[in-house]
Amino acid sequence: MPQTNLWPRLRPLLARVERPARYLDHEWGAGAPAGDAFSFCMVYPDTYELGQANQAVRILVNAVNAADGLAAERAFLPAADMADLMREEGLPLFSLEGCAPVGEFDVVGITLPHELAATNVLEVLDLAGIPLRAADRAEDDPIVLGGGPCALNPEPYAPFFDAITIGEGEEATPETLARIRELRDAGAPRAAILRALAAIPGTYVPSLYRWRTEAEAQEAGSWAEPIEPGVPAAIERRVFEGFARSDAWEPTVVPYTEVVHDRLNVEVLRGCARGCRFCQAGMMYRPVRERSADNIVAAVERGLAETGYDEVSLTSLSSTDHSQIAEILARVNGACDGRGIRVSVPSQRLDAFGVEMARLVAGQKKGGLTFAPEAGTQRLRDVINKNVTEDDLFGAIDAAFAAGWRRCKLYFMIGLPTETDDDIKGIASLAQRAYDRAKAAVPPDQRGSVRMGVSVAVFVPKAQTPFQWDGQISPDEVLRRVGLLKRSVKYKAVDVHYHDPKTSFVEAVMSRGGREAADWVEAAWRRGARFDAWTEHFDEDAWREAATEVGLEPEAIAQVTREPGYVMPWAHVSTGVSTRFLALERRRAAAGETTPDCTFGACTGCGACPTLGVDNELAAPRVAPAGAGATRGADEGAPRAGAPEGGACHG
Amino acid sequence: MADPSLFRLRVVFRKAGRLALLSHLEVARALERAVRRAGLPFAVSQGFSPHMRIAFGAALPVGVGGEREFYDLFLTRYVAPAKCLEALRAGSPDDLMALECAYVEHAAPAASVAYPLSTYRVDLTAPVGEWPVPDAVTVVRKKKEKELAVAEYLAGEMLLADDGRSVMFALEAKPTGSLRPDKLVDACLALMPEKSRPQRAALTRIAQSDGTTTL
Ligand code: SF4
Repeated sequence: MPQTNLWPRLRPLLARVERPARYLDHEWGAGAPAGDAFSFCMVYPDTYELGQANQAVRILVNAVNAADGLAAERAFLPAADMADLMREEGLPLFSLEGCAPVGEFDVVGITLPHELAATNVLEVLDLAGIPLRAADRAEDDPIVLGGGPCALNPEPYAPFFDAITIGEGEEATPETLARIRELRDAGAPRAAILRALAAIPGTYVPSLYRWRTEAEAQEAGSWAEPIEPGVPAAIERRVFEGFARSDAWEPTVVPYTEVVHDRLNVEVLRGCARGCRFCQAGMMYRPVRERSADNIVAAVERGLAETGYDEVSLTSLSSTDHSQIAEILARVNGACDGRGIRVSVPSQRLDAFGVEMARLVAGQKKGGLTFAPEAGTQRLRDVINKNVTEDDLFGAIDAAFAAGWRRCKLYFMIGLPTETDDDIKGIASLAQRAYDRAKAAVPPDQRGSVRMGVSVAVFVPKAQTPFQWDGQISPDEVLRRVGLLKRSVKYKAVDVHYHDPKTSFVEAVMSRGGREAADWVEAAWRRGARFDAWTEHFDEDAWREAATEVGLEPEAIAQVTREPGYVMPWAHVSTGVSTRFLALERRRAAAGETTPDCTFGACTGCGACPTLGVDNELAAPRVAPAGAGATRGADEGAPRAGAPEGGACHG
Repeated sequence: MADPSLFRLRVVFRKAGRLALLSHLEVARALERAVRRAGLPFAVSQGFSPHMRIAFGAALPVGVGGEREFYDLFLTRYVAPAKCLEALRAGSPDDLMALECAYVEHAAPAASVAYPLSTYRVDLTAPVGEWPVPDAVTVVRKKKEKELAVAEYLAGEMLLADDGRSVMFALEAKPTGSLRPDKLVDACLALMPEKSRPQRAALTRIAQSDGTTTL
């Protein structure tokens, strides 16, 4: 059935809202309306500016459109002013390409990019007029699929989704849609479709599992009990096995209005095996798969020509770890010579080589460099397996400031397991000594412009990591430790920024909560919580009152530390990295023992490769630069990936 | 600024359809990207952050379209205008389509001030019998309210079409500033009784001139 076109109703509203460009569609590279094809609406649960450049949106829209008989469109959450106006006017959430009601799509997919997007998921469903809970949906409502990083602990979202894909969606999503279409064509009822989806590898259908009590769960080894035979007891993560060989050029929509990561993004590698113990990304994208230099350079050239972007980012968790990165950057520089194109390379490397790579693409304009030592003392860096020494950091600082950078930001976490006040003072000491090094590397007349920033985030225990059993410190304790840090920093040129511990607290609950957390999310949303990741929108009272209303003790979820034998609420979801390995890593942390990066040497037995049947796939052998500890380094994940600001590519 | 070794190409384009809702900055970015997609040999500025040598004509507000807008692009070598046009058309969305290309003299006035006189047409959602014009329009500039005398900017009359469905008028940009066409139209509409007041269906700049020549 052709979908309704809401444009005639939307058009007059656009004069009354901010930045209408985000609701227009018609961007360069945007696809066609779904028309009569089996339709999939890919939703990012935040505004266009945040979601348009999102990798999952790009990849899945492309993958679905490439499949026979399937068509994908995009949708984003309207900004608060537009959402309010739409409710006033009775206009439902619409897709971009066809400006069709999201509720008219056959299947709606919502990605779960971070822990603070939960209330936005409900905002999406409500604006779309789709019942919030899967249990309340009628036969002709869309099937609502979830996926993304937060699917690794799907429980706080479970009741809102018909099915959740665990892991990479390149193959899983088109496969799932084709199955739904087949069953819909055959007239299968919703319940039968969901049962069939549970048989697709990597697919979790929450309604087919009973939530056990704590005692039952500890006894059974899992909280989720299949309610009928044939439903898998454990769901294993999907991996796109062909990633390394697949074309690095992906058709890209070029937005009119400015968005985050508004540039050509070429994914150069997937996965990171540095093995940082707090990092979910470092566990969930294993094994490591690199695309070849030829593939990447061809994609950059084609991508720049087809999109017209003046900036390209070679994306991954840590692109300077690519075995051919020096060759890639030299060739990319050659390809964009004289065209005013900027190149950026996210990096987790904390060594002179990483700086050298940043210098290669920085040109004359040097903004700031960021490094993430994560902890202030060697003891604590060993605990978290951040395999970086002070000498590595100072080597990187020397190289950066000698090469012309004048600003540097150091990222740390506070509240890491085993942290003491000495570790906090260690942050101040490290930052000040780094500042001294930076000054010494700079000509005397320029020393006044040297700046060292310290940015501290609160440790959030993440599901599927060695620190999943560790509780978060309370917001009050965060403030005490931040106070101690601030008092310990004596230099004026070193300034300290920190994240709001109240949002980190909600993140921790969402990260570690079981199915009961879903009621809390819904109650918070009903009290007006939405856009929780936006400081100006975060409504602490809504969350607190919601907890009282549903009888949830969020402190108990966020802050309690468990023994590594305790069965966590996501035990039925497997990333391939075994719980045994996570527990072993937790014990090594306690003993201050580190674990090396398997892409530079021997397998360390995490379990991902044998379980998933995929191996590390490197474009060339990875060789440790002489004396660089970064070869054993670790990382936290994309949002905080140390990204040197790119400069212009110049001749 | 004027580098005699460069070629100054004037590109006429339209800002139409739903893309009339783009801001000046959004249009500028989109045009730069179209130039890059066209693969033209554009010049790049020297300095810390090199960028494309391109200059845009007088800005249009969000929601105002243009039938003949233009920008000047500096090329490092001569490419036949017809070839430039063909390449630009292949890289442009329909609603920001390139219409004409021609080289202009380096000595010609800068793009932003080349054509101070703009003619607009506003299409209305319903016909009106007469078109009242206020003496002054209140605008907000740098967070301060300011009264602009309409006579100072309006060149000639505001002409209501015979069918009452559209109005044509010309505004002159002054070195001290200009009166936004959307603000003027809204001020006119505000003078009508609310019950019979139509809305703007579209507001479009249909011509730009310097008093003697028209773009
Ligand atoms: S199984 Fe071994 S080689 Fe594969 S990711 Fe884990 S540690 Fe590395």
